[in-house]
Amino acid sequence: MVDTETFVPDAVAEIEDEIGDANAVIALSGGVDSSTAAALAYEAIGTQLTAVYVDTGLMRKGETDEIRETFDYMDSLRIVEAQDRFLEALEGVTDPEEKRHIIGEQFIREFETVANEVDADYLVQGTIYPDRIESEGTIKSHHNVGGLPEVVDFEGIVEPMRDLYKDEVREVARALDLEEVVSERMPFPGPGLAVRIIGEITEEKLEVAREANHVVEEELEEYEPWQALAAVIGKATGVKGDNRVHGWVVSVRSVESRDGMTARAQEIDWDTLQRIQSRITGSHENVARVVYDVTHKPPATIEYE
Amino acid sequence: MTKIVVVDNHGQFTHLEGRALRDLGVDTEIVDNDTPPEEVDADGVVLSGGPDMDRIGKSADYLEADVPVLGICLGMQLIAAELGGSVGSGEYGGYADVTVDIVDDDDPLTGSLHPETRVWASHADEVTELPEGFELTGQSDVCDVEAMSDTDRDLYGVQWHPEVAHTEEGEEIFENFLAICESQ
Repeated sequence: MVDTETFVPDAVAEIEDEIGDANAVIALSGGVDSSTAAALAYEAIGTQLTAVYVDTGLMRKGETDEIRETFDYMDSLRIVEAQDRFLEALEGVTDPEEKRHIIGEQFIREFETVANEVDADYLVQGTIYPDRIESEGTIKSHHNVGGLPEVVDFEGIVEPMRDLYKDEVREVARALDLEEVVSERMPFPGPGLAVRIIGEITEEKLEVAREANHVVEEELEEYEPWQALAAVIGKATGVKGDNRVHGWVVSVRSVESRDGMTARAQEIDWDTLQRIQSRITGSHENVARVVYDVTHKPPATIEYE
Repeated sequence: MTKIVVVDNHGQFTHLEGRALRDLGVDTEIVDNDTPPEEVDADGVVLSGGPDMDRIGKSADYLEADVPVLGICLGMQLIAAELGGSVGSGEYGGYADVTVDIVDDDDPLTGSLHPETRVWASHADEVTELPEGFELTGQSDVCDVEAMSDTDRDLYGVQWHPEVAHTEEGEEIFENFLAICESQ
């Protein structure tokens, strides 16, 4: 386990050393990795760092507001409202890898604009050890690593947490006094709710995914899951009132894990599952059924795409 | 300090094998499987898992290197294939939660886990015939050869993943392997 008493000052010194008097940017996703990396870098170089948060429209409920609040102390925080541009770019796209690719590309474009504006020479990234491994293998392309550096011509890339595991990053976040909401925050994938929607991303499915994720996180909090989520996985028949509906199927997933490399589907009591089901189907006319995913990792992955 | 290297067969958990050894206070390093054993100075070798028997590089050369070897998943299968045993696809893939019966409570690698242990697995293939000199040390409902040992040559294998957090007594496998390496 990482020794935060030496890690934090060492990381701050390393960032100072590499960046010197130059300007740097970091893409802030709201997840624990980029938040922690941003806090380390801000401690090292202050307002020479511009933290850029791009609202892709694929965020969780209330996420953008929380970010605004948590990082209020950074004078150089930039929030880019890009929801419409992302949804437009994703129109009609169903292939999971292509979706990730499009989101990555659009993200780079938004980020590049700010990086040029503030004249940034350095890129700080919250890459952690498993990101590097998963990108080397064939499991999934990773949001943190792909694309950015090839497009924007940075003088250098600083990855202060490149050798850490997720549980170790949380230790660092705690040592940095990052608010509970960040240090205990559940992992949220870079492409956001897009990987929790099978097939094309539409406003309608996004709305269902966003609300359902909110319900699941709220109801399962006491189980202290490593990750709890809801995904819109397809359509099926239902009957509501006296009408047949062909509505969305929402899959609920809740897992415990140390590092995300393996995961166990949690045993949730029936009443809680029923309450989740009722809240989701009750408030969304277009949801026909709710299912619970019992598959561990392996053989399944934690996220759906 | 005892040094144990991990030979990387492109498994997704290879880095966790490095972490498990690091957490035990062992000097450790992950090396590419194209590295010849002559270039590696170690008291023990872990052959990692991986996706494909055609991508094991020089892994087999480590079986002649005269240091204890622990093969994990594909790492065990390659030991079997290389030394005259056989490997085939199992009737039933082994994924996630598996309970393994520990056959021999004297076995230096797995014996301390007797009589059974809960492990996390991820494999479609399995060892179907033990190579000469090996004893069966673990088995389960979904896989006949969960572990095997040749204590004369100090070659060991487990089909499951002791390095992942969900394997209950995974650390103990690494501790036992460390003890084997230190008794050399």
